[in-house]
Amino acid sequence: MRVQVKAFAGFREILGPDIALELPEGSTLTGLLEGLGRRSPGIQKALFDDQGTPLKSVIIMVNKKRQTRAEFVSRELHDGDEVAIYPPVAGG
Amino acid sequence: MLTDSERERYSRQILLFGEEGQERLKSSKVFIAGAGGLGCPAAAYLAAAGVGHLVIADCDSVDRTNLNRQILHYESDIGRPKVVSAREKLLSMNPDIRVEPLAVIISDNNASTLVSGCDLVVDALDTFTDRYALNRAAIRNRIPYIHGAVSGFDGHMATIIPGETACLECMVPEAPPRSVFPVVGTTPGLIGVLQAHEAIKQITGQGEPLTNQLVLWDGKASQFTMIRVERDPDCPACGGDSRASGRRREI
Ligand SMILES: [Zn+2]
Repeated sequence: MRVQVKAFAGFREILGPDIALELPEGSTLTGLLEGLGRRSPGIQKALFDDQGTPLKSVIIMVNKKRQTRAEFVSRELHDGDEVAIYPPVAGG
Repeated sequence: MLTDSERERYSRQILLFGEEGQERLKSSKVFIAGAGGLGCPAAAYLAAAGVGHLVIADCDSVDRTNLNRQILHYESDIGRPKVVSAREKLLSMNPDIRVEPLAVIISDNNASTLVSGCDLVVDALDTFTDRYALNRAAIRNRIPYIHGAVSGFDGHMATIIPGETACLECMVPEAPPRSVFPVVGTTPGLIGVLQAHEAIKQITGQGEPLTNQLVLWDGKASQFTMIRVERDPDCPACGGDSRASGRRREI
């Protein structure tokens, strides 16, 4: 199946604005995030803490709906889903 | 009551929300936390719209590096307190309003006292630690809170109604890592004006508030994206709030 990943702010700078990922059926959101992390140390550091837990400060959405960290593990992805990643900006 | 000169000054918007709406703006007290990139455009539009009482809090002085975006501060203001510089420009723009400058650092200790008695809070701060203090103060005092933040070409904003909608800590439960942020002035310009816009809607009762969603501005693509966010029943800031425990409002 094919999932679209849309990256915002600091994440877009690392990943590019829009990428399509080919994933095995039954993949979860956690699986997708870990797969992204394996692409580069920069992505790993932007998504996970030293223990490999997803950072609370990063907002992850599936089809425009915010996912809680409990949902990262349980959320199965489907063909055509759009995952968006937004590390909130903080300046003023 | 509006004066004749106020009726004239605001005539174009009185066409939109009537003298009643204008009077609501006039009798409102809005707390603007920060007189920087977001606070300057937000304050300018709220002053121009006729919000009767603006409180502007910022402890910094104007630095030359501020001038690419903090549009109420001029070259001649370098070294002056930002709140003094901002107040001067706002009053020369609209002498009919009151602008109260507060050169303070907002913290958990003083936030609740500072915002008490205000009708609305505009979050134009630049760290999440300070924002969390302000968010909790707004929840405690049940004051609508308009959040905004920017970096580079990106920004986001949201409207929070304490007791009813997701709060800042529901949306961003942990502060993003601190860094010196690069920024082009148009990014806080856009987000700050959107914050003022939401504030005017809220005060005059026009339209629908931007609650339970985060509006992302992707300035490189020049696109807005809306993200739905829900209240976290376990939110440490608003989760223990009984009126705010996620129950639907009864009619
Ligand atoms: Zn909350």
